[in-house]
Amino acid sequence: MSYAPEIASQFDIPDLEKDKLVGEVIRYILFKTEQNSGCPIRREELTQLVTAKGYKQRNFPSFVIDEAKSKLSSIFGYEMRELQRSRPSAAANTGRASQSQQSVGDAKSYIIISKLPSDVYGKFVEDKSSVHMSGLTFVVIGIIHLAGGKITEENLWHHLKRLGLHENEENHPKFSNTKQALETLVQQRYLQKEKVNGPEGNIVHYELAERALDAPIYDKIKEYVSQLTFLMISVLHYFLTDGAERCNAIGI
Amino acid sequence: MAALSWRHHTLIQSLLSRGPLKEDDFASIFSQLTVKNSGSRKQQERKLFNEYLKKINAEFSCVQLELRACRNQYDGHVYYGVVNNVEDDQSKLGTKYTVPQIAFYKGIVEAIIHDAEGEGCIYNTAALNIRLESQVHGATDSQSQGGAVQIPPAFKNFSMSQKEKTLDQLVNDQWLCSTPEGKIGIGVRSFLDLRSWFRTNEVPSCEVCNEAAIKPVIGMLTLPLYRVYSKGYLFFGSRLSGLAQLCPNEACNVRLHSYCLEKKFSGQRGEKVCSGCGTQLQGSTVKAELVEEITNADVHLQNSQQAESSRKRSRRSNREANADIDDTGDDSSLTSATMSKTKRVTRSSGRLTSSCKCCFSANGSLADFVVRCWMTSI
Repeated sequence: MSYAPEIASQFDIPDLEKDKLVGEVIRYILFKTEQNSGCPIRREELTQLVTAKGYKQRNFPSFVIDEAKSKLSSIFGYEMRELQRSRPSAAANTGRASQSQQSVGDAKSYIIISKLPSDVYGKFVEDKSSVHMSGLTFVVIGIIHLAGGKITEENLWHHLKRLGLHENEENHPKFSNTKQALETLVQQRYLQKEKVNGPEGNIVHYELAERALDAPIYDKIKEYVSQLTFLMISVLHYFLTDGAERCNAIGI
Repeated sequence: MAALSWRHHTLIQSLLSRGPLKEDDFASIFSQLTVKNSGSRKQQERKLFNEYLKKINAEFSCVQLELRACRNQYDGHVYYGVVNNVEDDQSKLGTKYTVPQIAFYKGIVEAIIHDAEGEGCIYNTAALNIRLESQVHGATDSQSQGGAVQIPPAFKNFSMSQKEKTLDQLVNDQWLCSTPEGKIGIGVRSFLDLRSWFRTNEVPSCEVCNEAAIKPVIGMLTLPLYRVYSKGYLFFGSRLSGLAQLCPNEACNVRLHSYCLEKKFSGQRGEKVCSGCGTQLQGSTVKAELVEEITNADVHLQNSQQAESSRKRSRRSNREANADIDDTGDDSSLTSATMSKTKRVTRSSGRLTSSCKCCFSANGSLADFVVRCWMTSI
């Protein structure tokens, strides 16, 4: 592994050691992603891999992380996307202490995303046995997006129930425990959950978190939701014009 | 070395995402990715395929991973997978299984290996009755009785329903496999990962290829059923070969995989006799088509490793004279990433033969494709 001389030279560390550290960071990212099913990895964890070995040079952890990012791209075809952890809107707006999951200090985290074109990915890489989670992710994000970016837990399950998912179901053929499946989306930072004290007691809200708000994903979601909305309007229009005749034709 | 292209990345990501792939499936992905560039000649495509894998492994060396091919002994098919080569703190993260679950799995594998009937699989009920306490070092020793061996509570409290769930999960993830008779066998991932562990734990090796001979029974093989299998169910519809045959002489410990047996004696006139004691061997019922398939797969594997294997053979024959068993019992410490650094566990029994001509050899001639699965904390 060769490093740009002007960058590498500022650290008085042999290339072999740098290689080893970069390799360890890459391995950490790959194994951790596998273990936690794609949940973001905090930058702090990666920094600690370097500093725990006694390397105290300033900017050296950043250098190693950048090199790991480069290698993940060149060797595996993964983009190491940086996410900036977002705070729940209630806490952000009012400043009051709420039972939020975030701590302000944990700012940056990383996920790895395939850089392959979507048709190649879909044809050769996608694991068909796990597409149900992708479907759930899309649907939940779409619902919350249509709700304006935030929704109560009760309301969310109301909509999911209409799609066949019940809150207390523990033996779903695909998701097993449906509540746990939703919780996975929180852990993966597509959603964030906040419990707000209100006059009627604690109310849990879900809103989109940094991973769902990340530009490429968010733009795609908006595009698909727009297409679906257009499609639904087209279907409604179809039946509103000469509706009775058309309904009769299809047996309604 | 030039960076890998999106085609290499696709091959890598397909293995990482979908798990071990059958050779046909993996080769099919490769063909679809490269067919426009490589032309139609099969030999050229094979050569290009090998170059791709070699390039991938060269890049993988810096992260202690390797892309490997391995033969599933139950069906004789070759599978490709990406495997970890080193046990370290990072790799210990790479499993969703808990400590008791891993101990349970280990107990099952040991039970299969040591099964008195030697069928290479055990009944579902036998698997569920495995006690995790036996996996605690020293817990079953007579000297430790009444002693201070601590059995973790998680082991004691590992319930039957947890065992059932874990068993299903292990079969689903291809660490184990399931038969329609309700028996449990060793899965593809285990074959990929535990190669050295089998050797370390003195699982008898095939006389020809020196790979662990897990299942020493010859099954009656019917061609139509042989080709019927579904994901995760390697035996479905047949009692398969790809297994090892015991020498009929009970005093002789020679074992051969059925596919190695056929390969060894194919085209030879005269009787098939054991190389250890001269006893006549029973004819394998492996069909000619399977032998041909295995031959073709082996030719591919040999071509890709020919130059390196001859270099390694000469190095290994010098080493074997002083070979020792690596008795750490720890699979992951044995190998390293690159071909040149691959370290073999050898047996001091002297049973080691020259490199296998018909399947994966123990001398690491396929070290370009050496792989260890990510579940390394066994």
